[in-house]
Amino acid sequence: MTSDVKISIKNLYKIFGPTPDVALEYVRRGMGKAELLEKHNHVLGLRDINVDMHDGEITVIMGLSGSGKSTLIRHLNRLIEPTAGEIRVDGEDVLSFNENQLRELRRKKMSMVFQKFALLPHRTVLENAGMAMDVSGVSTADFEHEARKWLARVGLEGNEHQYPHQLSGGMQQRVGIARALVSNSPIMLMDEAFSALDPLIRSDMQDLLLELQEELKKTIVFITHDLDEALKLADHLVILKDGEVVQQGDPQDILLNPGDPYIVDFISDINRARVLRVRSVMKEPSGDAQDYAGDISEKDNLESVLSLSGGDTNLTFRVVRDGETVGDLSMKELTRALVPLAAASESRQKGR
Amino acid sequence: MATYDFVFSALGLEDWCSQGQSSSPMSMAQLLSKAKGGDGTEVTSIWDLPFPSLDALHKSCSAWPQSRDLTKGLEDGFLQIKDNLSLVLDPITQPLSWSLDGALYTMLHTPWWIVIPVLLAVVFFVTKSWKLVSFVAGSIVLLAFIDYYDYAMQTLSIIFVCAFLCVLVGVPIGIAMSRSDVMQRMTIPILDMLQTLPPFVYLIPLIFLFSVTESKLYGIAIILYAIVPVIRLTNLGIRLVDKEVIEAADAFGMTPWQKLYKVQIPLALPNIMAGVNQTIMMSLAMVVIASLVSAPGLGVLVLKGIRNLELGVGLVSGLGIVILAVILDRVTKASLARINAAQKQ
Repeated sequence: MTSDVKISIKNLYKIFGPTPDVALEYVRRGMGKAELLEKHNHVLGLRDINVDMHDGEITVIMGLSGSGKSTLIRHLNRLIEPTAGEIRVDGEDVLSFNENQLRELRRKKMSMVFQKFALLPHRTVLENAGMAMDVSGVSTADFEHEARKWLARVGLEGNEHQYPHQLSGGMQQRVGIARALVSNSPIMLMDEAFSALDPLIRSDMQDLLLELQEELKKTIVFITHDLDEALKLADHLVILKDGEVVQQGDPQDILLNPGDPYIVDFISDINRARVLRVRSVMKEPSGDAQDYAGDISEKDNLESVLSLSGGDTNLTFRVVRDGETVGDLSMKELTRALVPLAAASESRQKGR
Repeated sequence: MATYDFVFSALGLEDWCSQGQSSSPMSMAQLLSKAKGGDGTEVTSIWDLPFPSLDALHKSCSAWPQSRDLTKGLEDGFLQIKDNLSLVLDPITQPLSWSLDGALYTMLHTPWWIVIPVLLAVVFFVTKSWKLVSFVAGSIVLLAFIDYYDYAMQTLSIIFVCAFLCVLVGVPIGIAMSRSDVMQRMTIPILDMLQTLPPFVYLIPLIFLFSVTESKLYGIAIILYAIVPVIRLTNLGIRLVDKEVIEAADAFGMTPWQKLYKVQIPLALPNIMAGVNQTIMMSLAMVVIASLVSAPGLGVLVLKGIRNLELGVGLVSGLGIVILAVILDRVTKASLARINAAQKQ
């Protein structure tokens, strides 16, 4: 996917403590997080982050708690000020913005969805959804139509005049999403938006988000600690550990070629068949006519191909995109792609 | 001669000591000891060693100030700045006199068949509870029936004015405290002092500053005493507003003012109202004490009961105060409960 870079982060550092500038020098010379905390009593939040987020894509930033992911997302709209580095949105340097420009950015360009919903308890669902409009001085009567439209879109028709405490967690987060959508901003920041929801509702919300994204093509930055969620949503996956980017790229790529033992650990538990897609394991079409067992789409996941094959490992499928043949996939290759990575590397070593 | 002579002789201050001749009149203790004959200051045992206080040192050195010089100095100092102080304070506080006099005049000169229904309407408006309205109606009718209506209304109107001014001044101070830690650090000792000073102590400097015939005298005393909870709880309420919600307000680009009146104050309202409830109760407590400095109302009757040992008057007016307290407390609590119900998280 080639599209314009919407948000670009370069050499971003964040150090918490009384004299971050001094500590920054030590970090630049290579001091680690633990040592910095012990010797200088500063906490290393982020170290040398370089990420490009493309227009219309979902960039997922994943990491365990304490990895700095929430800190990172708050740098994008400067809820947290960086210690050093550069953040550009549409080519403009966000760090050089004055208060008014920053407010404009937050009102018009970026909206945010929070883990704990952060709705205003004394306002109705409708007023909450229109918060961004209200902040810019639009009256309730004027934004009501827009707010109702988006509330209906996220499945909250008829709840407009209720208060947040009358809704369940999942419904409250729908209000949170509607609030971000009503602002009509091209960028959505989602800070562990679904982490507080129970698994079934979470899966529903992920589907809702993907469905909306299909239609709206916003630039979404999504924070999560859940790998399954990350793989389901991500166009571009950034894995953070202790404030550093361990690996970033196409999630399928990361899954097939993890660059770090930490990531191997991470991905060893997931259901590879459900996450891997045909396009990442298919071969170029061999040219000579074969008897294909059937046509599959490049977007299908391997699980669906498996069930299509009925377990027969001698079949080969033709991969098509918009009616054109783009490759083929034999069940043998498919099976190979499903071998867990730790086992795969072991057997490779044995073969040598 | 006296216990601590050696201190001054060691420091070589005997000359300075002998210069200062005590110009102040003799104290009662000195008179008594003189009457007994002998100076009686000789220490015979370590058990009788006096603490080296102002007075004990004065005995060894007459140039040394006595403790009553300290209190006298304070008094003189206050009297010296008093004229300038009242020049500034008088015009500032004049509106307080006007509003107190105005409220008293309005309450007493409006016929009872207008005042009582209006009060009941207000009660219904803030609580939406018929039960409470009928309780308040019963209480006021009872007070009126035993001819305590005028006194009760005087007390009530003083409380209304003072509590209103407390909120008007206290809420902004509380907001300022919640926004700046420096402000909070500076204000809290003052609030602590206002809360712990015995209420009578407020009255003494106020009597010096203002004339006892002016109603602002007791108005200021009541406000100083009762303003503390509303300031504290406004500060606390705003500081307790959910950080996530504040972050959301920032993330959607609210200005500091928008954040204040769209998020912080509405969410702090239950706490602010709890402060208002406390403020009203404390003004009621103070309005009784303030009757010492001519505040009208039920307190005057209590005072009369004490002064003339009229047990019945004291008891009945005390009961009237209890009834007023219960009314004010129930009404403010009920409106607080309504606010809480509207914003249950």
